[in-house]
Amino acid sequence: MNQQGMHFEKLKIASFDFTCCEGCQLQLANNESSLPAFFELLDVHAFREISSEKHDDYDIALVEGSISRSDEIDRLLAIRKQAKILVAFGTCACFGGVNSLKNRIPIEESVVEVYGELQVETLPVRKISDIVQVDISIPGCPVAKEEVERIVVSLVTGSKVNLPKYPVCVECKQQINTCLFDLGEICLGSITRAGCSAVCTSGKTPCLGCRGPAEDINFPAFMEMVRERGLSESDLREKLDFHNAFETYRNDET
Amino acid sequence: MHDLRFTIPRQDLNREAFASSVPDFNLKSDLMKTDMGYKCRITNIVSLTEQEKLFRLRIVDPEERRIFRFKPGQFIMLELPGFGDVPISISSASSNHEFIELCIRKAGHVTSALFRIDTGMHVAIRGPFGSSFPMDEMAGHHALLIAGGLGIAPLRAPLFWINEHRDRFRDVHLLYGAKEPSQLLFSYQFDEWKTISHIRLHTIVEHADAEWKGSTGMITELFRDITIDAKNTYAIVCGPPVMFKFVCSCLDRLGIPMNRMFVSLERRMHCGMGKCCRCMVGSTFTCIDGPVFDYWSVMNLKEAI
Amino acid sequence: MIYKVISKSEFRKFIDALVRQNTSFGPRQVDRNTADEPIYQFMPVSSVDDIEFDYTLTTSSAKHFFLPFRDQLSRFSFQNSDFEQHVAYEADPVVLIGLRPCDISALNILDDVLLNGRYPSPYYLAKRKNTFVIGMDHLPLPDCFCKSLAHHTVSTGFNLFCSDIGEKYYLSINSSKAFTYLEEFQTEEPSCEDNCLMTRRRKLISESFRTEVDVTSLPSILDIEFESPVWDKWGAKCLNCGTCAMVCPTCYCYSVDEHFDIDLKGASRNRQLYSCNLVDFAVVAGGHNFRPKNGDRLKYRYYHQHRGFAENANQQICVGCNRCGRACLTGINPKAVINDLRMEKESCMTCVSPSPDRT
Ligand SMILES: Cc1cc2nc3c(=O)[nH]c(=O)nc-3n(C[C@H](O)[C@H](O)[C@H](O)COP(=O)(O)OP(=O)(O)OC[C@H]3O[C@@H](n4cnc5c(N)ncnc54)[C@H](O)[C@@H]3O)c2cc1C
Ligand code: SF4
Ligand code: SF4
Ligand code: SF4
Ligand code: SF4
Ligand code: SF4
Ligand code: FES
Repeated sequence: MNQQGMHFEKLKIASFDFTCCEGCQLQLANNESSLPAFFELLDVHAFREISSEKHDDYDIALVEGSISRSDEIDRLLAIRKQAKILVAFGTCACFGGVNSLKNRIPIEESVVEVYGELQVETLPVRKISDIVQVDISIPGCPVAKEEVERIVVSLVTGSKVNLPKYPVCVECKQQINTCLFDLGEICLGSITRAGCSAVCTSGKTPCLGCRGPAEDINFPAFMEMVRERGLSESDLREKLDFHNAFETYRNDET
Repeated sequence: MHDLRFTIPRQDLNREAFASSVPDFNLKSDLMKTDMGYKCRITNIVSLTEQEKLFRLRIVDPEERRIFRFKPGQFIMLELPGFGDVPISISSASSNHEFIELCIRKAGHVTSALFRIDTGMHVAIRGPFGSSFPMDEMAGHHALLIAGGLGIAPLRAPLFWINEHRDRFRDVHLLYGAKEPSQLLFSYQFDEWKTISHIRLHTIVEHADAEWKGSTGMITELFRDITIDAKNTYAIVCGPPVMFKFVCSCLDRLGIPMNRMFVSLERRMHCGMGKCCRCMVGSTFTCIDGPVFDYWSVMNLKEAI
Repeated sequence: MIYKVISKSEFRKFIDALVRQNTSFGPRQVDRNTADEPIYQFMPVSSVDDIEFDYTLTTSSAKHFFLPFRDQLSRFSFQNSDFEQHVAYEADPVVLIGLRPCDISALNILDDVLLNGRYPSPYYLAKRKNTFVIGMDHLPLPDCFCKSLAHHTVSTGFNLFCSDIGEKYYLSINSSKAFTYLEEFQTEEPSCEDNCLMTRRRKLISESFRTEVDVTSLPSILDIEFESPVWDKWGAKCLNCGTCAMVCPTCYCYSVDEHFDIDLKGASRNRQLYSCNLVDFAVVAGGHNFRPKNGDRLKYRYYHQHRGFAENANQQICVGCNRCGRACLTGINPKAVINDLRMEKESCMTCVSPSPDRT
């Protein structure tokens, strides 16, 4: 590929999944219209959803899911060693995601709850960056395919990979939605990173913060605002914990 | 129930006369193609340091080349298709209608991409935009040009102008400071400036290396080496924001009137035309009222320095 | 301007004819809030029955019909070392029904900034030329303060303006297009009584304002209070969410981004309306942020709205619709902020020293 005299190389890419639903990978395979052009940019090495080839020669590792078993840690470390660029792909990989709900009950209980009497080894859920260095994060539950396409194009062309720094409210207001606070609901849109085109709030579902905190958010003012409106404190906490994305702010708070 | 009497006719701007004409950014009253750039061919690239390159651009279309005229101190928006556009000061002589030169530092997304392209490639420019240094007004006086680091880029156009009209100026001093000797740009032109143009060049570096024989320290220390007739001097200051404060207060102390001290400000820019508001400084926009401001205006603009 | 009156039933026929023939937008109720008040927005309408003529005010303004939230500025197509740039100023005719005086004043201000400045914007002009604007007056909401800025009436910037005088609408016809369309319907010259009703209507509107914001000499107050603690106080509440700028009828700033197509054969240059409240508004290469604090950014929104900038120096661009105040989650609104500033100013009147006189 040659454009403007610059030579663009295909990305040698491999995808790995840990504890998750693999929904994010499916998102990619869903891209009917642009799929052929998209795969022109990729040299796929291990991508369970799409091809069955497996090689160990890749530059970019898409890591999906969170880490909850010790064998997963070893696998992740091996991936880090091989990959030039490690991408945390999806909310589970970036923040722990829905899986982290498990961390809120004692580990023994959760094993019993999920696996009954079977003895399974399980660790508290951790995000990828707790274990290895992450070069690029693509949050989203599931990831937004337009954003993934844009990031892939950026990687191929050597452009800077940028996520929006502003919160979901910008995109929500751009779609002329009614603010869910006006309808008496708690929405995390004003502290969550945009980029999803406000899909949830456009469908009248409050934002649960799957894309994690926006840049430099004013968390205390947000908490204060929700309290002043007299909305349910427990609902607020549940939403903040849903994807585990506001962990650092929550910890600061107490 | 189709009643065409009530259909609003479409007015197509694309078919109006301006749509087929060449955009002329100097003509500031008519409607024009505000987003259409002049396509340029990169005819030469010189690596000045690891971080800076000098690009020579030639506007491809002869008609566009004819109407492109700029004044020293103005900037253009340089577009690398697919990557974006960035404001860059014009570093060549305003009398040169064959090509323009841009001295670019690798700073981020677009500028890094520019470092990957070769001669023969094409880019687009919009402009020229912004205010300029009052060269005609400066003539007849002493000139004090002060550059820190990349600040030499916007200073090169007024330098060329002074060289071309050297007899109209009295003493010309160029104070130029950089972090290290290797980062002094255009050192290959120093001799020419000194001997042919009779410019008194004073250089200084913050950190000297083994070969450096000149002064070391901050640029403000060069003021000790020069004597100027403050009442008859015009000063131009270009450099990083931190420099302005110190240098301008030095000039102030020397007694140079505030409306004869000029600085070139930098802000984030996306349009160059007073539309995107990204370059707000105080109560104005850097792109249309600046980048060149006199020090009195700068003092009156909030957050300027 | 030509004045006519039209009966409400005939008016509906007229609107219906327009709406059926053109892409049209008008106020519609989209939701009800927790206090059971209706929430209105400009939405597509396909018959006169879709339109709520007696609406209060839309939550979001009508600016995006002229300045789309997202818009393509140009396209590039590549051939090896060369490229071709394509710019088009596309706009299809649109009918906007029911704009309030503040909405139309806002358009006039945008005209000033985007058409009468040094570099007129063809993107905006194309949209402006192809939009048929029908304005309607209304009784203000308790927190509207457009009267303080003299924007509660407007005399230009629309094709047709309708004042409700009871049984009829009093029409101000400001374009030949509107005049020709109306010729097909039954209108009358305003009678003495109609004129009287019209005057009474104006008076009623003018007297119905409950909120006043003192904006006299605000530009200089904003300058003097640049370092005021008021900014820290309100800045501490600001979420940097940009909601205020998105709903505002006069906020027009934008961001530009450029992307390769997925097949790498072309690229597009797009703009997105932005806000000076957003954290990276003033960030430059290397990461330096000229406005790192919430308060700095919030201050700039007020500075731009109420100080008057470059292209419209010393003329406030705020029209006083209070959309920003209503939409702000944390209750930041122009009335409160400006009153605070004024108090600041008045409490320290004595320490204002004249600026150094040196040139
Ligand atoms: C009037 C003026 C003259 C300039 N002259 C020169 C010059 O002669 N040589 C030179 O090397 N640099 C110059 N600059 C700085 C140059 O514009 C920035 O380094 C460049 O925009 C960085 O863009 P980027 O995409 O590489 O960086 P990124 O950080 O990736 O920037 C992304 C976007 O932010 C904006 N941006 C970032 N930094 C700046 C900045 N400092 N000023 C304005 N916009 C910015 C641009 O729109 C850019 O597209 C000038 C700036 C201004 C305002
Ligand atoms: S619904 Fe949520 S995202 Fe939308 S404006 Fe309200 S808080 Fe922001
Ligand atoms: S609206 Fe919130 S929860 Fe929904 S996709 Fe966007 S970031 Fe995720
Ligand atoms: S003032 Fe209100 S609406 Fe505007 S950015 Fe701040 S919190 Fe958001
Ligand atoms: S006030 Fe701020 S958000 Fe509004 S147009 Fe100006 S810069 Fe943009
Ligand atoms: S600043 Fe607020 S009150 Fe003023 S025009 Fe904008 S939305 Fe309306
Ligand atoms: S660069 Fe857009 S307003 Fe100055």
